[in-house]
Amino acid sequence: MIPEAPIKSPVQVSEASFRDPSGFIFTHDNTLYRQVNTCYRDAYQSLVSSGLYDWLVGKSMLIPHEAVDGPVADEGCAWRIIRPEPVPFISYPYEWCFSQLKDAALLTLDIQLAAVEHGMCLKDASAYNIQFHNGRPVMIDTLSFETYTEGAPWMAYRQFCQHFLAPLALMAKTDIRLNKLLSAYIDGVPLGLASTLLPRTTWFKAGLFMHLHLHAITQKKYAANTPSETGKTEKTRHISKTGYTGIVESLRKTVQKLDWQPGGTEWGDYYNDTNYSEAAFEEKKALVKQFLAQAHPAQVWDLGANTGIFSRIAAKMGIPTISCDIDPAAVEMNYRQVRQQQETLLLPLLIDLTNPSPGLGWDGRERDAFCRRGPVDCIMALALIHHLSIANNVSFDKAARFFHNLCSHLIIEFIPREDSQVRRLLSHRADIFQAYDRGHFEAAFSGYFKIKESKQIRHSDRTLYLMQAREQ
Amino acid sequence: MKKGFQVPILAGLSAAMFIVFGVVSPAHAYLDPGAGSLILQGIIAGVAAAGVAVKIYWHRLLSIMGFRKDDDSDKN
Repeated sequence: MIPEAPIKSPVQVSEASFRDPSGFIFTHDNTLYRQVNTCYRDAYQSLVSSGLYDWLVGKSMLIPHEAVDGPVADEGCAWRIIRPEPVPFISYPYEWCFSQLKDAALLTLDIQLAAVEHGMCLKDASAYNIQFHNGRPVMIDTLSFETYTEGAPWMAYRQFCQHFLAPLALMAKTDIRLNKLLSAYIDGVPLGLASTLLPRTTWFKAGLFMHLHLHAITQKKYAANTPSETGKTEKTRHISKTGYTGIVESLRKTVQKLDWQPGGTEWGDYYNDTNYSEAAFEEKKALVKQFLAQAHPAQVWDLGANTGIFSRIAAKMGIPTISCDIDPAAVEMNYRQVRQQQETLLLPLLIDLTNPSPGLGWDGRERDAFCRRGPVDCIMALALIHHLSIANNVSFDKAARFFHNLCSHLIIEFIPREDSQVRRLLSHRADIFQAYDRGHFEAAFSGYFKIKESKQIRHSDRTLYLMQAREQ
Repeated sequence: MKKGFQVPILAGLSAAMFIVFGVVSPAHAYLDPGAGSLILQGIIAGVAAAGVAVKIYWHRLLSIMGFRKDDDSDKN
């Protein structure tokens, strides 16, 4: 309950938390809180009294929270303040691989089915309500529930199809890279667009036909309906509970059937295609472990992580690690391993470092840019610099500045031009990279970092550096 | 988890268009559910409910004819 004398301290309301009048997220003294507004009191009490909250939290499907006395962000409409268990790193659906989005979709539907059994339902089905926490998806929006009314439709049906089903179908049936449409459309992929892009064979698959193609047709047909005198465009049809759950189960079956197998993309088989020996590979792993122990970071971002072999060194040392790569197949394999091995400290993400996720949504601040989610204690950039400098023409100075803005420690590998991976990048283009050598590399990075260690990886011509950011 | 409805959905869709539904106001929510989505839900829910009904009667019929025990039909 609201205390009689609430704490009067500045609070920062989340830029992503404005659509639902039920409440909002804010931070105070680096702690995350959620304000529950008076208008949501009955629904919140039903969530708890129905047993749904305990059931979902018990199965790690919903983020747990505790009610606290304050602080209060908006006293005019506040009913209760809750403190959710913090999720250390917020990621977005356009940064997830196929199986991450699919698991998030199935979680949403399973929560909806459980909610109906408890006399509740999900009033929204946004992919942004799901986060990956301790290696698995979890619903973070405690205020997404309302009381189920027999006969009412599922108000979030369209949103689920736009946020989950359409991108999953496009990734599985058209092109795996189409998850990036989610960054272009903040409220999910328009169903008309999805229907146009999907192959014709999907018209003969019952679930995709109903929930995407027919859905797109009905949306288009009724979109321009003018309201009647009552303000309603159409009478809302009575939907029995059997039919209501039938829709959700049909969606679940449709999502479950969608599949994508990694392979054949850019770097998915990189480790089978490297030029250095097993001995050099083991040496590199040992050096990475040694440098991590020296840096002793609280968290690591492994940029250009491929399938996460080196990320796992950090994670196994107990360090929460974000494992980023540009290749959907590599991220998919990485995530499958996280799921299979029940790894709790590793989060694989699909990030193109040459074009990292920008700030999106309202005012460009609803979804944080990738780089704004830093800084981080330590970045690992292994076998990456040649991709930035040669494939993307980024100077060493620009690369060093980029890393300096993001981290206090940097473990970076220099790949000389004699390396077959560099030669491959140069094989079909003019070599305009005369400054691509170790001397220029060290000179540029020394402007931003103090080089604490540099060791040549034995049995290879590569060098691994441990650097510490200089005060600027 | 309940088993998904198994009726031939495409064939049932056109028949479901003619099912007469009652009128219920949607729950209060901040999302626009979309007029087309609401209408489609009516259709799909009709098919789903009809499918479940058909399944129940089918299992009862099998039970009456002695092809299946009552316990089996309850599981569905």
